[in-house]
Amino acid sequence: MTQALLEQVINGLMMGSVYVLVALGLVLIYGVMHVVNFAHGVLFTLGGYLGHFFFTQWWDSFWMATLLSMLSVGLVGYALERGVFHPLHGNLRNQVIASLGLILAFENAVIALWGPNALQWKVATTEQLVSVGELRFSVHHLGIIVLTMAMITALGLFLKHTRFGTAIRATSQNQEAALVVGIPVRRVQWSAFALGSALAALGGCLVGPLFLVFPQMGDVPLVKGLAGILLGGMGSVPGAVVGGLILGVTESVSTLFLPTDYRDAIAFMVMVGILLLRPQGLWGQRVRGED
Amino acid sequence: MGLKGLACLLVLLVLASAPWWAAQQPFLLHMLVTACVLVVPAVGLNLMLGHGGLVSLGHMGFAGIGAYVAAVLMVDARWSFAPSVLAAMLAAGAAGGLISLLCFRFRGHFFMIVTLAFGLMLHAVMNNWDSVTRGAAGFAGIPRPSPLRWGDQVWSFGPLPNFYALALGMAVLAFALQYLVVHSNFGRSLAAIRQDERLARSRGVNTLLYKTTVFAMGTALAGMGGVLQVSFLRVAAPASFTMLESINMVLIVIIGGAGSLVGPALGALLYVGLPEMLRLSNEWRLVIFGVMLVLITLFAPKGLAGLCARAWQWLIPRKTTAVAKP
Repeated sequence: MTQALLEQVINGLMMGSVYVLVALGLVLIYGVMHVVNFAHGVLFTLGGYLGHFFFTQWWDSFWMATLLSMLSVGLVGYALERGVFHPLHGNLRNQVIASLGLILAFENAVIALWGPNALQWKVATTEQLVSVGELRFSVHHLGIIVLTMAMITALGLFLKHTRFGTAIRATSQNQEAALVVGIPVRRVQWSAFALGSALAALGGCLVGPLFLVFPQMGDVPLVKGLAGILLGGMGSVPGAVVGGLILGVTESVSTLFLPTDYRDAIAFMVMVGILLLRPQGLWGQRVRGED
Repeated sequence: MGLKGLACLLVLLVLASAPWWAAQQPFLLHMLVTACVLVVPAVGLNLMLGHGGLVSLGHMGFAGIGAYVAAVLMVDARWSFAPSVLAAMLAAGAAGGLISLLCFRFRGHFFMIVTLAFGLMLHAVMNNWDSVTRGAAGFAGIPRPSPLRWGDQVWSFGPLPNFYALALGMAVLAFALQYLVVHSNFGRSLAAIRQDERLARSRGVNTLLYKTTVFAMGTALAGMGGVLQVSFLRVAAPASFTMLESINMVLIVIIGGAGSLVGPALGALLYVGLPEMLRLSNEWRLVIFGVMLVLITLFAPKGLAGLCARAWQWLIPRKTTAVAKP
C-alpha cells in the first residue's frame, strides 16, 4: 500500500509540475493584465507540436527543440498580446470571448496542419529507468519534477531580485501607480505574456514524449492550471505552485480508491470544495469590490 | 409590431415553408434542422449571457443532463416524448439553478472558471456512469416522438420534413419565451443587473434570486435543446456535450449578437451554413470561426445582429437620428 501510495505521489508531483507550469503562466498574465487567458491550453498544445516538429525535422536534441519551441510560442504570445488582448483591455467579457475564439482557431489549425492523430515523440529519457528503493521511474518523470522546481526557483529569484521582475510585481500590484513612477507598463505586459506563453510551451514539450502529442493535449492542463490558480488565490505565484501540486497529487492518489475515469472530476470537486470554504483561495486576499 | 415585426414574420414564413421549397434538397432541410437543434440552447445561453451578463462556459453540460434524462425516460421507462421533454427541462433547470447558487459565490473570471469546471464534471459523469448513460459509446436507440393521430390522419415524425416542423416549433417556442422574458419586469431587472449589479441591488432588486432564475431558465432551454438533439440523432453521446461544444455555443451567441432577440438564430444559421458555402474541411471552418470571433470582439462587439441593425438604420433612417446628428 505505501509503495503504491508513494508511486502515485511521485506521479502526482509530475503531473502537478506540469499544471504548475501552466498555472504560473496564467498567474503572470493575470497579474499584469487582469485577463484570464483561456487560450493558454492551445499554446501548450502548439508548444508540444512545435517541439515535435523541431525535434524530428531540424535538430535531434530534445533540449534544443524545447528551447526553440519556447521561443516561437513566446513570439506567438507576444503577437497575441499586441494584436488581441491589449486592444480589448478593460473589457473582461470580450477578452474571454476572444480567447475562446483563439482556442477554436489554434486547435483546429493544428488539426488541419498535423492531422487529428496523436504523434509519437521518442526521447531516450522516457525509457531509461531509475530505481528509488523499490520504486522505478523513468528519468523523464524525475526530470519534469526537477526542471519545474528549477524553473519555479528561477522565476522566484527573477521576480524578487531583478529590476524587471520588480517592475512586473509592481505592475500587478497597482498598474496606475507603476505607470506614475515610470515603469514601462506596456513592455511589462507584453513580456509577461510572452514569458507565460513560453512556460506553457515548455509544459507541452515536457509532456509530449510521455503522453504523445495530440490536438487536445492542452485542454486538461489548461483547466487544471485554472483550477490551480483559483485554488492558490488568483494572482499569487506561490499559490499557483501549491495549487497546481495539490491538484496533481490529489487526483493521482484518488486513483487508488476510485475509478480512474473520475480523476478529473475529483480534482474539480476538491477545488470547488476548498473554494466554498475560502472563496479567495488559499493564498489570496479578499479585495472589496474586485471582480 | 411595425416593420421589424413584419420582417420577422416573413422570415418565419420562409423558414416554415422550407419543406416545400426545399423538397428536392433534403440536405438543406437537414442543415435547417441542425440549426434549430443548436438554436434552442443558444437562446438559453443568450438569456444568461446576453440579457443577464452571466458568461457560462459549461452550457452544453446542462444540455447533456436534459438529453440523458429524456433518453432514460423514453428508452428505459417508456415515457412518451412530451412528458420526457418537460421532465428533462425540469431536471436541467433544477440542476442549473442549484449549481448556479454555488457559482454565484464567485465573480468575473472566477465565475466563468467554475462554470467551466461544472461543465467538465457533468461530462465526466455522462462519460463514465456506464450503468445509466451507457458510457462513452453513447446511448443508442432513442425513439423519435410517437406519431400524432387525428381521426384517420397519422402524422409521423420519422420523415425529415415532419421532424423539421417539430424542431422549428421548439425553436419558435424558445424565441417566444425569450421575448416574453425580455419584455417583462423580470427582464428589465435583469438588464439592470447586467449593467450595474451593485446599483440594482441598492435599488432593492433581489439580484441573487434573479440571477439564479435566469440561470435555471437558460439551462432548462439547454435541456430542451439536448432532448431535441438526441431525438434527432437517435443517439445520446457524451461527445456532444464537451467543453468545446460549450465554447461553440458561446461563439454562436456572440457571433449572432449577444443580447439581441434574433442573434442566436443568425449565429446558428451562419455556424451551420457558412462551411457549406465555403466548401471547406471542418477544421478550417472552425479556424475561420475562431478568427471571426476574435475580429467580432475587436470590431463589432454587438455581433451580426448589431451589424444588421446598423444596416437597417442606414436603409430606413429614423427621424430621431437625423436630429441627433449635427
